[in-house]
Amino acid sequence: MDAAPVLELRGITKQFPGVLANDHVDFDLRLGEVHALLGENGAGKSTLMNILYGLYSADEGEIVVNGKTVAFSSPHDAIDQGIGMVHQHFMLIPVMTVTENIVLASEPTKGRVFLNYAGARKRVEEISQRFGFAIDPDARIQDITVGQQQRVEILKALYRDADILILDEPTAVLTPQEATELFAILKGLVAEGMSIIFISHKLNEVLEIADRITVLRRGKRIDTIKREGATEASLARSMVGREVLLRVDKKPAAPGETLMHVDDLRVFDDRGLEAVRGVSFDVRAAEIVGIAGVDGNGQTELIDALTGLRRPAGGRVEIEGHDLTNSNADAHLEAGLGHIPEDRQRRGLVLEFSLAENLVLHDYDKEPYSRFGTISPRRIVNRARKLLSDYDVRGGGPRTPASALSGGNQQKVVVAREVSRNPRVLIAAQPTRGLDVGAIEFVHRQLVAERDTGRGVLLVSLELDEILSLSDRILVIYEGRIVGEFSPDVTEQELGIAMTGGGRDEAAA
Amino acid sequence: MSSEPGSGNGDRDTPPAPEPLAVDPTAYAPSVGERLAIYQRAGGIVTPVITAVFAFFMGGLVVLATGHNPWKVYKGIFTGSGLNWFFHVGNYSITIPGTDHHVWFWWNTSIQSNAAYNLQQTLLLTTTLILTGLAVAFAFRCGLFNIGGQGQYLIGVITGLWIGTSFPHMARGPHILLAIVVASVCGALWAAIAGFLKALTGAHEVITTIMLNWIAYWIGSYLFGQGGPLQNSTNASVPVSNTVVDSAKLPVFWGNPVLQGLHIGFFIAIGALVAFWFVLNRTTLGYEVRAVGFNPEAARYGGISVARNYVVAMAISGGFAGLAGVLDMLGYQYRFGVLDVQTSQLGFIGIAVALLGRNKAVGVALSALLFAALLYGTSSRSIDQTVLKPELAGNLTLMIQALVLLFVGADVLIIGLWQWRRRLLPGRLRRTRAVAGAD
Amino acid sequence: MAATRAEPRTVWRGLTPTETASLGIVLGCLAFLLALPPITARAPWWPALAGIPAIGAGIWAITSGVKRLGWLAVAAGILGTVLGVLATNTSSSNLDYVVSWTPLFTAMLAFATPLTFAAIGGMFSERSGVVNIGLEGMMLTGAFFAVLGADKLGNWALGLLCALIAGGVAALIHAFVSIHLRADQIVSGTAINFLALGVTGYFFIQVYGDQGVPGSIPRVPTVNLSAVDGIPLIGPVFGHLNLMIWLTFVTLIVSYIVMFRTPIGLRIRSVGEHPRAADTVGISVYKIRYASVILSGMLAALGGAYLSIGFVGSFNENMTAGRGFIGLAALIFGNWRPFGAFAAALLFGFSTALSFRLAQPWGNSAVLFQALPYVLTLIAVAGVIGRSIPPAASGRPYRKQ
Repeated sequence: MDAAPVLELRGITKQFPGVLANDHVDFDLRLGEVHALLGENGAGKSTLMNILYGLYSADEGEIVVNGKTVAFSSPHDAIDQGIGMVHQHFMLIPVMTVTENIVLASEPTKGRVFLNYAGARKRVEEISQRFGFAIDPDARIQDITVGQQQRVEILKALYRDADILILDEPTAVLTPQEATELFAILKGLVAEGMSIIFISHKLNEVLEIADRITVLRRGKRIDTIKREGATEASLARSMVGREVLLRVDKKPAAPGETLMHVDDLRVFDDRGLEAVRGVSFDVRAAEIVGIAGVDGNGQTELIDALTGLRRPAGGRVEIEGHDLTNSNADAHLEAGLGHIPEDRQRRGLVLEFSLAENLVLHDYDKEPYSRFGTISPRRIVNRARKLLSDYDVRGGGPRTPASALSGGNQQKVVVAREVSRNPRVLIAAQPTRGLDVGAIEFVHRQLVAERDTGRGVLLVSLELDEILSLSDRILVIYEGRIVGEFSPDVTEQELGIAMTGGGRDEAAA
Repeated sequence: MSSEPGSGNGDRDTPPAPEPLAVDPTAYAPSVGERLAIYQRAGGIVTPVITAVFAFFMGGLVVLATGHNPWKVYKGIFTGSGLNWFFHVGNYSITIPGTDHHVWFWWNTSIQSNAAYNLQQTLLLTTTLILTGLAVAFAFRCGLFNIGGQGQYLIGVITGLWIGTSFPHMARGPHILLAIVVASVCGALWAAIAGFLKALTGAHEVITTIMLNWIAYWIGSYLFGQGGPLQNSTNASVPVSNTVVDSAKLPVFWGNPVLQGLHIGFFIAIGALVAFWFVLNRTTLGYEVRAVGFNPEAARYGGISVARNYVVAMAISGGFAGLAGVLDMLGYQYRFGVLDVQTSQLGFIGIAVALLGRNKAVGVALSALLFAALLYGTSSRSIDQTVLKPELAGNLTLMIQALVLLFVGADVLIIGLWQWRRRLLPGRLRRTRAVAGAD
Repeated sequence: MAATRAEPRTVWRGLTPTETASLGIVLGCLAFLLALPPITARAPWWPALAGIPAIGAGIWAITSGVKRLGWLAVAAGILGTVLGVLATNTSSSNLDYVVSWTPLFTAMLAFATPLTFAAIGGMFSERSGVVNIGLEGMMLTGAFFAVLGADKLGNWALGLLCALIAGGVAALIHAFVSIHLRADQIVSGTAINFLALGVTGYFFIQVYGDQGVPGSIPRVPTVNLSAVDGIPLIGPVFGHLNLMIWLTFVTLIVSYIVMFRTPIGLRIRSVGEHPRAADTVGISVYKIRYASVILSGMLAALGGAYLSIGFVGSFNENMTAGRGFIGLAALIFGNWRPFGAFAAALLFGFSTALSFRLAQPWGNSAVLFQALPYVLTLIAVAGVIGRSIPPAASGRPYRKQ
């Protein structure tokens, strides 16, 4: 299997202002192999692949395809060389059909002027049958599932006769079951002679699917190893450069009274479909309840309903006995709810406001900051100064705009704001997304500290590691229902099965 | 809090630039408010000045290309606007209002002074432009593009005239107050229609306010037209309104009232500027408006009602524009006709005023003065015919205004100028915007 | 996963609810038409006879799930009946004057032509993702330079060419500022409007000064088709249409085919919906947007040229007087599709034509009719008659990495 490489990247270097994204990286891909590219967020994996796909140009280094040195000035060139890429966020046009999306920019024509839709359709059907995809060529992208959309992306590459396929974090949006199906498809593609580059930061997947693994850290290639002999621990160490604490130290739980009571909650999503279908659970004092699930199973709508941003269609939400089912966000905040939202830049902070102004986002209209509708900047700044120092926020003072801070510090500001209001229940949605390990540790420690002071914490996260290490109780949400409750010593395997419907589907891995 | 040196900053976070394809296309594009935040940060006074200079320069080129002398033209405009009045320092005196006492003053405020007269006229226009500028600026601070200032102004004119030409036996104070209140409220309501539509249905305020402009235009044409309900009762062939009754006219504090002097509406406009600043920066309403303008989603998460703020911000904006209309009517115009409805541009100029002034109170004031000087200085009453025909001069004003708008809207230009000032950009700005320069 | 709407299964006398609702709309229109020339029924129960079943059909359609068309049928029924009854109470001489179909249709087409050109231009620009508020200015530019060109170069075709170039240049400015400088597209469009106003006004006075435009500039000819003249009602209308109105029809068909049946149209639409996706398959977002915006300027300029050298035969300052905005409104009302925009333009053209004829019996009040296009668009944008959905990436500058 030690065939000549079909692809070589030699000494690729790419500099962005303030960041050296790729530092003389070497990479090679052999015919018929699945080669995983592993690294943390910001390690440079996507940049490297974007250079390969012609979306960026490297400052230094060269690309060699099948022995020939090539230069790519656009994706067209890369496509011509047989390279196809499936991006993490799909590059599909929602209102157009599968066929239109697949043939875009390589459209078959009638007489060079008219679009030959029928011909395109036929070819799409041919390819999908050949590789075993089941796709309706006339369906609109907005009407098909995420797993199917990903297959459309793969079809795009296959339609253009790709031999090399790059997949960027493909399982980020899939259930474990769909991920298994994807792996089967990849094995089928490899059998047909394709070579695959698989970008990921998930250690377990990489160990399952890859033949070889290259680890990038901070723009440098650290190591390239064969799958045999690699372990999660050794890979993690290469990725991060030090021993990684995969579990947080915490005292065992001693939960108290019920703080938040959710009963048969039903919520509709933006498209009018029922996203939460009768969810019931409690959050008690001094406990962390984790909700695990694949993205898109109703978590967002659930949190919206719990925080008052979306009116439920049925059921009840109570906080300390007060019925808050139909109240707005303000009322929920008043009733003792704290909320660390999913996307700190979009939802947690007003980036153009100063840190002080952000820290009073919930309380600007209350004493002592406000009287008769006017605001006292001095008092707001003073409070901010105290909070910023208590939570060790670095990168600016009370008057600095929030945009000047790094992601970790921004999240600290959000946490500071929420926690300092002494909420009875704290809802944390994806609180460590996009943060580096140090910031993640900080947030985890805060959540545990909250629990230890007697508050209730509801943690909703897509990262199973986080759920497993923090939660005192784990609930699994699937298609809008709670399908299982587990203790923290459950295995990822069991959780994965629950996340796909509780073993109803036949033999998973 | 964390033991690793440096790791607490999270500086190994993904900077937005190197992972750009991770961005979902339909999410998070810079909102109007964010872009304006950049304008506001970028440049203080330097960038608007450079923008204005550039626009005047380009206008000068056009003048030159058509055989006129740009230097003379601009000098003529400057003199015609009365701004030269500030430069004539000497020994004059001024009467304290309400007494006969004279006090030394270094500027010539007498009725005879030509420059003083020109300045009064310029300041009359400045009053209007401050208010129409604020109408646009306040909405912008809430992330809304209020192009409807012209329509809101017209509504203010119409309703202000209606009150001002009626009730001839009312006492002066209440009469003026009534007209001002009614006109401002009606302007506010006209704008609030667009605000409601945006809040309830998400209808884009640019489209709705443009439509409302034209609806107001035709309503005005109807009302003042021949046989229209607000047409004057004296001469049926002239499509003009009645004249404002004396008891509703605003007192003139500088200049000859017979020849159109500067009325106290000027101070009302200044007051509006102060109110604008105070509301935005020192009240809870202003906090909400700014939060919604910068980031509506975060505002929602903070418990702020985005919909309500849209409506309130549009209403306040419309109120400013309506106020402009009534002050013009009660202050010096006293009547309005179909022709005026159809040729009025003061609401639209407010857009350029607000943008050049970076949507801030001081900026709006200065840029209103600039545009007013330009407008009056090029008008037929003021410009020297041998230097440039007034019709040409009027069109020159339009071109300069357009150029200001073109340059103001350009991010890259502003950022380029900003970087030229060699100040450090705020972090996120540096990371996202500077990538543009990397290619 | 798909939120498909189930087709309503109930059927009445072999007609589906959708068909019934359509029938209702037709009946409602008929109710009004019965009272108008040439039928001019004078008894008020004639309109009611057509209108009330229309309302009934609409209600039935609504209860069967076809809401949008059903409400339209109800509205048509009510309006038709009310207007029909009012018409029966109006003097028939007034009716004959106002509702003379031939002049009305001719005027409708004449008014709709500049709107249609502007709307189609706007469609190309917006579907590629660039909002074009500057259509008004581009139209005005076309109007002036068509006159200038036809006058100085002696030929209407050359005049049209000048208009195309001028419109293209104005659009190029908008394109450059919006695409390359990534300015706010609304501000840039507004600037183009002022710029056009200033430039055309300035050069109009400079060149034509006090005398104004000479009366004898070459104009776009009328196409006389004597064969068509004989057909009742519409014959005289189509028999003597200006060449540019025929050009409008051609433009409509060509633009429909290009936008929806060719690869280039697919690419334009993809750039307007999801520019990054288009970029990743190798489409040049910048090139497509530039081309679309410049095309939109040229088309708007053609609309303005029709106004000056096709219809009026002269130029005045600010000649377009908002028609570019009505064209934009027509585009939105027509849901960003060529034939929809044309239908809207016809509707707006009709209301303008009507307002002119109404000026005789109604006097000043007819002026209010001119506001109708804007009111209708306001309602459309608010989503009362179904939501008008623009291309997803419209208005957002694209930054290529």
